[in-house]
Amino acid sequence: MFPFIGAIMLLLFAGLLAAIALPRRSRAVGSLFSAAAMLVAVSALVSSFLSGAVPAPEQYFNYISQFGISFTLQFTPISLALTVMASIVAFVAIYSGNPEKSSEHTATSLLLLFEISAIGLFCSSNLFIFFIFWDVGVITLFFMIYLLGSANRRRAAIKFIIYEIFASSLLLFAILLIYFYTPIHSFDISTIIAGASSIPQHVQILIFALLFIAFLINMPAFPLHLWLPDAHTEASTQGSMVLSGILTKFGGYGMILVFQMLPISSTYSIYIMALATLSAIYISFVLMSEHDIKRIIAYTTIVEMSIILVGISSANPYGIYGAAYAMLAHGFAISLLFLVAGSVKHTYQERDIRSLRGVVSGSVSSAYSFITGIFATTGVPLTATFVGDIMIFIGAVTAFSVYGAVSIIAIILIGAFLYYVANKSILSTKEKLPVQEYIGFSQKAGMAILIFFIFLFGMLPFIVTNLFNV
Amino acid sequence: MPDIGYAIVALMSLLVFSSIGGVFHRKKTIQLAASSLILVALAAVSACALYLQDSYSVLGALLINPFSMLFVLLFSFTLLLINLLSYDRSSDYPSFSLLFSFVVVGALVVAMANSIVTIVLGIELTVLPTAFMIIINGKNFVEPAVKLFIMSAVSVSMLVFAVILIYPYDPALSLMGYIANPGIAGSYLVMLSLLLFIAGISFDAALFPFNMWIPDVYQGAPANITALLSGVNKKVAFVAMLEILFVLLLHLSPIFSVMIQALAVITMFFGNIVALVQNEVKRLFAYSSISQAGYIAIGIAAASQLGVESSMFYLFAHAFMIIGAFAIILWLESNNVRSIQEYRGLASRNRWAALCLTVFMLSLIGIPPFIGFIGKFLLFSSAISANLVWLAAIGVINSIISVYYYAKVIISMYSGIEKTPLKMGTSIGIVVIICLIAVVAIGLYPGPLISAVSTASNTLIAM
Repeated sequence: MFPFIGAIMLLLFAGLLAAIALPRRSRAVGSLFSAAAMLVAVSALVSSFLSGAVPAPEQYFNYISQFGISFTLQFTPISLALTVMASIVAFVAIYSGNPEKSSEHTATSLLLLFEISAIGLFCSSNLFIFFIFWDVGVITLFFMIYLLGSANRRRAAIKFIIYEIFASSLLLFAILLIYFYTPIHSFDISTIIAGASSIPQHVQILIFALLFIAFLINMPAFPLHLWLPDAHTEASTQGSMVLSGILTKFGGYGMILVFQMLPISSTYSIYIMALATLSAIYISFVLMSEHDIKRIIAYTTIVEMSIILVGISSANPYGIYGAAYAMLAHGFAISLLFLVAGSVKHTYQERDIRSLRGVVSGSVSSAYSFITGIFATTGVPLTATFVGDIMIFIGAVTAFSVYGAVSIIAIILIGAFLYYVANKSILSTKEKLPVQEYIGFSQKAGMAILIFFIFLFGMLPFIVTNLFNV
Repeated sequence: MPDIGYAIVALMSLLVFSSIGGVFHRKKTIQLAASSLILVALAAVSACALYLQDSYSVLGALLINPFSMLFVLLFSFTLLLINLLSYDRSSDYPSFSLLFSFVVVGALVVAMANSIVTIVLGIELTVLPTAFMIIINGKNFVEPAVKLFIMSAVSVSMLVFAVILIYPYDPALSLMGYIANPGIAGSYLVMLSLLLFIAGISFDAALFPFNMWIPDVYQGAPANITALLSGVNKKVAFVAMLEILFVLLLHLSPIFSVMIQALAVITMFFGNIVALVQNEVKRLFAYSSISQAGYIAIGIAAASQLGVESSMFYLFAHAFMIIGAFAIILWLESNNVRSIQEYRGLASRNRWAALCLTVFMLSLIGIPPFIGFIGKFLLFSSAISANLVWLAAIGVINSIISVYYYAKVIISMYSGIEKTPLKMGTSIGIVVIICLIAVVAIGLYPGPLISAVSTASNTLIAM
């Protein structure tokens, strides 16, 4: 059996070292190694599709043998999907997310480190390794926002790190509680799933509350989302792409783990569904009062993640796997939108939709990629989000009858608003803003890659869903 | 092999004699080479003994077992780093070296002590020379030196009183095992003596409310002595606390556990909250060092095998983190960079130094994959496994609070651009790199250190 995850991690690590060692060619070297990692990830997906099962776990060494923690990486169907998504999005971010070519050395190194932590997190077989990769990813992104971003980046970065460190402390505490209250003391996720039902009720409630808040901050959803709009607006294009495309999936993946591990969580599913629905609809109204194109896109992340939370809260296979598929799709869609926003900013030096006019005549590829991105975000058929959303709502309606589908309103609302934006500032040809600088080949290629995967996973969902056994 | 024990004693006396010689010939380089070599030899010999897992006593006064050898290894290694740091910094290196050799002997004697009297002697031998090491730097250093001297006098008088109180119940005063002294159980005088032991040691271990001298002395002393105080003296006090509480007074563990819990909680909150408003980086690290003492106390409060292990692990972790951080602070201090505002743009002046300091601070917060995370993870685990979930929760809350002031320094270093580059001296650079390697390498692969610590805690509790 070919050790896919080991190969991915090794390639990325080699890429990281090479990018640090070669400051002048860091972007080229980084793109090369992350492209190789992407190919390995895609071939892992293809090989598991052909064989009908995910590859076997890969155990490397004992990390802390006294606590039974081994450095074991494994694919579950969900983590395989997310790994493929993360490797593609990170590659595109490294290759084409930086048309200004500013601080390429720092950006590439941080992105590669973040990619390592993201893939490590999705593939970790125990919560200890999960937590380590979580924190490494968060700190890396903190520096990504803090060092490379627009004028108010420092404030946004600090807000981000305060929320995230709070979340990770809750996470650490919950993980320790899980370890000491499961009958066989273990951090191993499969062992915990087997033994979690014998954790005393009140401890389970405590663990659930801690994990739920931690992951809700990271996803994010309504009451705890305040770090996200600022962080996305102030981060560089590359930063926003991985922040929205990959980091928010940490929380989604964690939430799926919570529902798989703790039997008590299904008791609260109706409340979580209500919260998520409220969050989706509320945020879609908040979004309409915004003018900054990056801020608008950032808010759509919250809406989509709330809908994913609806899917997870239904706690049945359709909902959970639908949420996983929607996360895969959302990673492509949102990073495409941020890439377009960055390219538009590069072309016109403007991000305000009130003065942005006639993008279609100045930068055709950006304009149509933006339209495709909107399709992908609102779940138009043949895009990957459609498959994910359909599965989520099947699951939600099964669990909560018709109330599960209330959050469709949010999709309609953001769809209407985004088409309005596209009509007014992207597609209008009456007024034209003067073009400052055209985007290069790499941006167009990046958009093409993302669009390709959006439609690939939209038209051939069975590549992934066959592994899901729903 | 009893020879190894004699080798340690021989090396200790060789160090003292070579330092006495150094005062006369006054050749700095030779003195540095000699003391460093002897410390390396001590580290090597103790590592060898640790590997062989010997267990016997030497000269009837010093114990050689995995516990003592582990801390002889730690102390000789950290003292070696501080010796390197002090070379450029001290105006009178040969005199410093002589006083320093006493500190070495004191620290090693505490690690290997087999009776309470030896422990008190060893603590005294580490603290008093430190006060003189501060004062030989000039008139400006009288105040911190006197503060340290008076506080150590108070702490020693408490310890001696504690020893006197326990003497009627345990005339041997031996740490060879409390089972041999059944007369010790359950007297109020023994309880009082326990109280005095904890109070006396808390002066050096920086536990609230006995830590009021810490910020002034840490800030006033030269940074290499601050590193010594925080990296070695505090560890010596904690080792003494482990030995006294878990060998001599183990039967009182329910009582001292409650006391240490209270001390841990107050110390953590005090250190972290006061650190929030500090503006001078050295003083900030003094308060951070207080709060870290609170974390170490969590493990002692758990009063279990895992608790002892985790405290011992964190002693290692904190020694490397804080010595690395103080090495960089020392270097910046000699370039007149002191307050958080003056740290602005450090990343553009010397990016590697900024990166190293960032790593040390992230590790102090407890961010993986650094050594501090593993340490805090073990400490909180020990609290939860001893059914002290609330104590672990308070530890976690304090970690969150501490993010703020460490982040303030990190942010200051990475904002703004300063044109004039700063170059780091070789000896400080070596210390920083060694600490960085320890922090990252043990963080990535903590297995060997954890198993060493667990063997050591076995011998401590079964002694």
